[in-house]
Amino acid sequence: MKHWWKILAVILVLYTIIFGFLIEVPALPILHESIRNLFFHVTMWFSMIILCGVSWVYSIMFLNTGKTDHDIIASESANVGIMFGSIGILTGMIWAKFTWGAPWVNDPKLNGTAITMLIYLAYFVLRNSMDEEQKRAKVSSVYNIFAFILLIVFLYILPRMTDSLHPGNGGNGTFSDLDIDNTMRTVFYPAIIGWTLIGVWFLTLRVRIKKLSYQRETELINNNI
Amino acid sequence: MKILKSLTVLSLILISSTVSARPSEIEMADAMLENGKIYVVIAVLCTVFMGLVVYTIMIDRKLSKLEKEVNEK
Amino acid sequence: MNNIIFLIKKEAQLEFRQKYALGGILLYVISTTFVCYLSFRSIVDIPTWNALYWIIVLFASVNAIAKSFTQESVGKLLYLYTLTNPRAIVISKIIYNSGLLIVLTLATTLFYSLFLGNVIGDLAQFIIVAIAGSMGLASVLTLVSAIAAKTNNNVSLMAILSFPIILPLLITIIHASKNAIDDLGWSVNGKYIIVLLALNALITTLSYLLFPYLWRD
Repeated sequence: MKHWWKILAVILVLYTIIFGFLIEVPALPILHESIRNLFFHVTMWFSMIILCGVSWVYSIMFLNTGKTDHDIIASESANVGIMFGSIGILTGMIWAKFTWGAPWVNDPKLNGTAITMLIYLAYFVLRNSMDEEQKRAKVSSVYNIFAFILLIVFLYILPRMTDSLHPGNGGNGTFSDLDIDNTMRTVFYPAIIGWTLIGVWFLTLRVRIKKLSYQRETELINNNI
Repeated sequence: MKILKSLTVLSLILISSTVSARPSEIEMADAMLENGKIYVVIAVLCTVFMGLVVYTIMIDRKLSKLEKEVNEK
Repeated sequence: MNNIIFLIKKEAQLEFRQKYALGGILLYVISTTFVCYLSFRSIVDIPTWNALYWIIVLFASVNAIAKSFTQESVGKLLYLYTLTNPRAIVISKIIYNSGLLIVLTLATTLFYSLFLGNVIGDLAQFIIVAIAGSMGLASVLTLVSAIAAKTNNNVSLMAILSFPIILPLLITIIHASKNAIDDLGWSVNGKYIIVLLALNALITTLSYLLFPYLWRD
């Protein structure tokens, strides 16, 4: 049965919704019950990074093979990634308004999300500025590869390297490992997998739509010739 | 993704009913909602989510039909 | 190797004949600094001094390098590319642009501290940060300019594409240069400078690997 992973995705997210509210969570000041937001807001971020990683891999594969299919997957996964990112930012702003007092604060994680969205929005502006398919695919793949590597450097490597100078992510800024005890992890990890699989489902739907429209186009062209 | 919005709003409503000025106790929603109301929240959210899933499945099926049509030509 | 040196010499020769790029950029820098001088008179607050300095350098750099790939006509480009290895072209462009930006940064330092007050604590360290930073900026902007040159509307696209990618580099540069101004010493700032050089090496390697896919038209 080739739809097994979709069923798995639905089951995992349902599990997250049900048990996300039922399990015992650590009682922390300021956050109170909203710590349960972890299962729904932070998972959006993880799904976005994973999908953008998929986009990166398929950009590399396109440069190696030249097959249009790979370029379609690269651009559509960036698209779904941006969608998850937007939802993540919106839910984050709602959460921050009630816990931190303001919808946006000067925090490295927030800066990182903003830069991610800007990079992929620029990716789509670049794609739209070119009409010729092969050129568009090639140039945007180069940008995708370059930008993603620098993004990963910025998000994960730079904070580590300057760690001895600044205290890092601890304290009230973002979640560190102190907050997640083992009960939350039992829902958190399946939630990541579940939401990411839902993202992959949307990705496959979009890719199929794109391929169909390309097939229709070539048919129309062939019929007109 | 209405789920997320309703989820966060609901969790925030939960907090705002429990947050008080006393710094000594960290109040959680346990006593108030554990006895029955929380299941209403869960039921609503599951319904919302399953509704969206059914909608997505319908789109998936329509796509498969279209693909079969185009490939048979 | 010889190809690279030849290409760099060619760019430098073009530059000396026209004096277009260098003169234009220096004028841009002086004008912007002067406008800031007229509005601020003198900036004593160090973060502001630092931030404004790098904003001026950033915009001057984007302007300077945006022209590097679009200046040559299509025929000349084809001729050039059949002669040499594309990798030599990108390395030579990066080296040339780095040189250009280093001159730009040093000139900006001069005029900026002249007009807006000299608050720099450790001058040698600041200059090293400025040089390392401008080399990093040059490598990023060269590749982005190559990407933007493939499309038709270069001016705004180059800014849109480069801004998010440059941000990590820029944040590191601003941190490091603020430390240099505050005169915190090498033990504190050494880390940042090494990070800058490492980023520069990473970006240059990526450009080296990716550029051949771009010019093959």
